[in-house]
Amino acid sequence: MISEEKLQILTESAKYDVSCSSSGSKRKNEGGMGNGYAAGCCHSFTPDGRCISLLKILLSNDCIFNCRYCMSRSDSDVPRATASPEEICELVIDFYKRNYIEGLFLSSAVHRSPDHAMEQLLLTVKKLRTEYQFHGYIHLKGIPRADERLVREAALYADRMSFNIELPSEQSLRLLAPQKSRESLLLPMKRLQKEREIFRLEKRKGHFLPAGQTTQMIVGASPEPDGQILRLTQSLYRANGLKRVYFSSYVPVVHDSLLPEKPAGELREHRLYQADWLLRFYGFSAEEIVDDHGNLPLELDPKCAWALRNLHLFPVEINRAPLEVLLRVPGIGAKSAYKIMEARRYTRLNFEDLKKMRVVLKRARHFITADGKFCGASGSALRGLLSAGDPLNATQLSFFSDRETARSALTGEL
Amino acid sequence: MIYFYDGSKEAFYTAFLLAYPDEEAVLTSGSKQLGIGQKTVFVRADPARAKQAERRLEELDPECVKELDLLLRSGQPNRDTVAFGYFKLIAARGGPVRRMLAEDAVIAARECMQRVRFEIHRFHGFLRFMESACGALYAPVSPDNDICDLLVPHFRARLPQYPFVIHDVKRRKAAVYDGANTFLAPLDRAEIVLSADEKAWQDLWKKYYHSVNIPSRERLRQMRGYMPVRYWKFLPEKFPGDFGTS
Ligand code: SF4
Repeated sequence: MISEEKLQILTESAKYDVSCSSSGSKRKNEGGMGNGYAAGCCHSFTPDGRCISLLKILLSNDCIFNCRYCMSRSDSDVPRATASPEEICELVIDFYKRNYIEGLFLSSAVHRSPDHAMEQLLLTVKKLRTEYQFHGYIHLKGIPRADERLVREAALYADRMSFNIELPSEQSLRLLAPQKSRESLLLPMKRLQKEREIFRLEKRKGHFLPAGQTTQMIVGASPEPDGQILRLTQSLYRANGLKRVYFSSYVPVVHDSLLPEKPAGELREHRLYQADWLLRFYGFSAEEIVDDHGNLPLELDPKCAWALRNLHLFPVEINRAPLEVLLRVPGIGAKSAYKIMEARRYTRLNFEDLKKMRVVLKRARHFITADGKFCGASGSALRGLLSAGDPLNATQLSFFSDRETARSALTGEL
Repeated sequence: MIYFYDGSKEAFYTAFLLAYPDEEAVLTSGSKQLGIGQKTVFVRADPARAKQAERRLEELDPECVKELDLLLRSGQPNRDTVAFGYFKLIAARGGPVRRMLAEDAVIAARECMQRVRFEIHRFHGFLRFMESACGALYAPVSPDNDICDLLVPHFRARLPQYPFVIHDVKRRKAAVYDGANTFLAPLDRAEIVLSADEKAWQDLWKKYYHSVNIPSRERLRQMRGYMPVRYWKFLPEKFPGDFGTS
């Protein structure tokens, strides 16, 4: 059994990685323990409000690389630990059996060499799948500059892999993560994507990353504006077929003259997630949301801001607007849009009906008519009303305090 | 007229047949404050008539029988009224009504079922097993809705080699998987002898829980919103002491 100290060190160095999702895999239990849960599942919530789904841990925090923003970097003075593959396997099996976790999110520092670190990761997942007969969810981090054969083999056992893009531009990478390069991060992603496609087309037996790839970048450690970040995000979805791009707002864990002293605002991170939601689910393009060198407004969510720039498209009649138009109305999300589409087949909807159906009208009422009636404000009053009514605006005290916002905080859902 | 019934499916269908033509009918399986001059009747399940009603409703809407099962499991005090209203509408319209999303009866039924389904989903995550000395797993739960047997298929698919007991301590019953079959049984209290390692694994889990937290970003209200305090009772990471005897 792994010692408490080791568990603590290896968890604390892993916890700033934001992705924890366990969704997207329908892996079956093939005569052992565990299976996938396509919708994902939260097992607990920590006092910081985050969900625990996967056991998020490093195999080692003993790094030869020296990324300036990272507390595991080679020249930082922190306690080091390395777990054996067996220690991790046992931990996964016994946690999973008790239903503490949905699976494993295993990562590692570059311990000894990229190949060595990747080998150890591979060994661990292979053991889990073959010796321990574990079929629960596994998210594996890829090590940049590791041998591509190791990476490809690991993909046969993991549900999802991720190479973190780390920073939104090549210059920032060179400055802050000198041993990494855009190429060393993007190339393995592209290769995996191609392999996965071939695997699928040839209908090969077994699995190859059924839940695809994700990546993560740190926001606020370097100067790139939101416009640039969202364009990169969009191209990662379109050209690299990524399932999800995560943003992690910069938290200073080490002092460094090249890095900001203060943490980046969580509000900015949240606005990026909201914009990301617009890209993924509501048919927006990055260009519509924010211009190249611009930042997302903090006082308004990006859908509201877009609607204000496009007032000539509103109001829309709730009984006639097609789905893709409903989805662009501020305050109306996928669930409400669906409810409206269904209900209006039977009756002509008015504002009373919408209220009953729990469609949130606080923002929406300014952009719709229901049965010909308009209930909103217009002109110059509108912007003020909207930003004063934004649940995230104003103080940190009210941050994420109501239900609607709390749900959206996990995902950026709008 | 107020129609009392015992909360079972059969009695519901029997009462439904009686109450349907009655414009002022109220259906209930709980206690009910009686107004002056209100008449009451106690409906006993009549298997033959229940079957007849069920068949008829199933013809109108093949899905509604499953929905009734969920509705009657709800812990909501007005579940009988909600179920009655929903089934009345199905009977009146002569077909499925679940997509009439602006109808009060449909909204109420959907929200009621949604709560039951959501709690099942939550317990797929919030349920905690402890390992007993003989290797069987034991999980005490105290859900709002009557769902412990509905949790079994999920865990059985994941842990087919482990017999387990999911004990609804509030309703004093348990869903049991013995390694081959599943059944429901009344269960008052369980004395569990824990395995030698159980406490150590619980401690490791608590260590993990506290290590993965980012204290500088404390958001307790948000945590409680996602994981309401009433569910903490059986979560080792939220419980200062330990369970069972070892
Ligand atoms: S490679 Fe960079 S980011 Fe990763 S552990 Fe090492 S120093 Fe940290």
